[in-house]
Amino acid sequence: MRDVKIVEKSDGTVLVERFSPMRRVEHILVITTFTVLLLTGFPQKFEGAWAAALLRLFGGLDTARLIHRAAGIVFVSHAVFHIGSILVGMLSGRMRPTLLPVPQDLRDAWENLRYYFGFRPHPPPFPKFDYRQKFEYLGLVLGGLVMASTGLILMFPIQAANLLPGQVIPAAMVAHSNEAMLAFLVLAIWHVYGAHLSPEVFPMDTSVFTGFMTREELAHHHPLEYARLFGEMPEPWREEPAGTDAKSPSKADTSPAPGEPHPNP
Amino acid sequence: MQLSPPAASRRLLPLLTAAALLGLAGGARAADGSKDAACLGCHGAMAGARVSFEDGSSLPILVDADSWHHSVHGDKLACTDCHRDISGYPHDVEPSPDARSFQLRAAESCRNCHYAYYTRVLDSIHFKELQAGNPAAPTCTDCHGAHDIQPPGTPRTAIQDRCAKCHPDVAKTYAQSVHGRTLAADPDAPVPTCTDCHGAHDIHDPRNAAFHADSWKICADCHGDAERMKPYGLSPDVVTTYLDDFHGVSNRLYSMGAGEPGRPIAVCTDCHGFHDIQPFDDAGTTEQVQARVAQLCQKCHEGATPNFSKAWLSHYPPTLDKAPLVWAVKWVYRLMIPGIMLGLVLHILLHLWRLRGRRNA
Repeated sequence: MRDVKIVEKSDGTVLVERFSPMRRVEHILVITTFTVLLLTGFPQKFEGAWAAALLRLFGGLDTARLIHRAAGIVFVSHAVFHIGSILVGMLSGRMRPTLLPVPQDLRDAWENLRYYFGFRPHPPPFPKFDYRQKFEYLGLVLGGLVMASTGLILMFPIQAANLLPGQVIPAAMVAHSNEAMLAFLVLAIWHVYGAHLSPEVFPMDTSVFTGFMTREELAHHHPLEYARLFGEMPEPWREEPAGTDAKSPSKADTSPAPGEPHPNP
Repeated sequence: MQLSPPAASRRLLPLLTAAALLGLAGGARAADGSKDAACLGCHGAMAGARVSFEDGSSLPILVDADSWHHSVHGDKLACTDCHRDISGYPHDVEPSPDARSFQLRAAESCRNCHYAYYTRVLDSIHFKELQAGNPAAPTCTDCHGAHDIQPPGTPRTAIQDRCAKCHPDVAKTYAQSVHGRTLAADPDAPVPTCTDCHGAHDIHDPRNAAFHADSWKICADCHGDAERMKPYGLSPDVVTTYLDDFHGVSNRLYSMGAGEPGRPIAVCTDCHGFHDIQPFDDAGTTEQVQARVAQLCQKCHEGATPNFSKAWLSHYPPTLDKAPLVWAVKWVYRLMIPGIMLGLVLHILLHLWRLRGRRNA
């Protein structure tokens, strides 16, 4: 059963699809809106001469706010579309919730820390997205919801005050500003490390732009997904004694997840 | 120039000479006043004599010798230091269409020494008025005097009296405000009078947008100063809470050069008033104050309800007591951001440490 594209190039390299074209476009859209929101938002949070200069670049504070709100609306619309498309995909059974955190991710995190401390020779076998990637995705979705809801309150304060206590408005301002800071820090440190600076992907994990990852990369970083697609666990996980914490989930994950498509049963 | 009655003739030589001699012989002030004695011989004595101008208007020629000697210039300048076009005796006066033109031209001599102040005046709304052809707009001597110039802020109440000559209504309103009343009770009180907010020489038009957007700084100069506010039991938080709020953030950014405000954003005076500022002590009950705040919000925010006005935390920092929700959100992030980031950075460092270890192994 193959729900993802696997392409063999003329030089023998096997490429496995990781992101559908839609997801790749979504990633670029997030980069764009995030950058615009950050550049027009942070100068309002921090002030200072650089902030004024940056705002002038956008045509002054008023125009920068207009751009910020427009980008915010794009972001919110995108979030609605994204969550909607996942719901439709899940309900119609054409999509696996590969980014949804599950209890196994906590066990993976624990095992991975044990690996970092030298208590196991290899990291635990990760599924299509490991717990670090899921954490970041979850952060983006939950943080995005905070940004969207507080942003809407700040954009329509009169209407917000008709529904909620007035104090929600300054609270939304504090939350909007701090959540932005958190998002920026996670992006600048966690995402830049995971997708660029980590020696395992340096200088860049290109899969979210090309959509594909080599079979070898998949085997190394996401052995459970590899096993799901190619029918066998890659080295070095093949020899892992059965019954360990790390092994047991692989049984569950290699078998089709509920709702997983079976195009050719 | 013409000398008018009581001197009937155009030439008053005999009389003036006699007066000059009297002045010279006058004794008491001769030691330090001799430089002016020749002029004061006539101008210090001829009460009632006037110089008249082309349109029939006239000015008295009398200079009060005593107030001249006690003025800031009395022991420094001679008459001709300012009246440079006059030398010798008898002298003419340059023809002027009217008395005001003569005064305006005479005041030009101030710049010979006070050039910096003169150039600042060129930026002022008063000078622009003069240029626009309103001769009633003030020049140096209208505020400072001419022959009786005293240090401008002594006493400080004198400042408002000077402005009141042309701005009587504003002065009356100011006198009833918390600042005006405090100053009236104690002329040394560090409360603002006209020039503290408007400036003295480079007075800008307070009705333009840039002045409005920047005006919080005027209030912040004093109200942000804890030492200065202490005697009055006022908190400097009024400034920081304003600057942390939407309006303050906006206006501070505009002040720093982030463009021009498309519409005015509330500053201190939009809620507190300007010339009629009153203290909040006797503003009424909390409900009355809140109702008033809601009304003030409506000036700009159409549809603002009393609930909306509670978005403004009344200059209180968001403490658990005053704004528990804002306080809680602040603390959640104050703990969450360092907590999450510390965890992530540690995770990264552990990863790098492990990778290095494996390579060495």
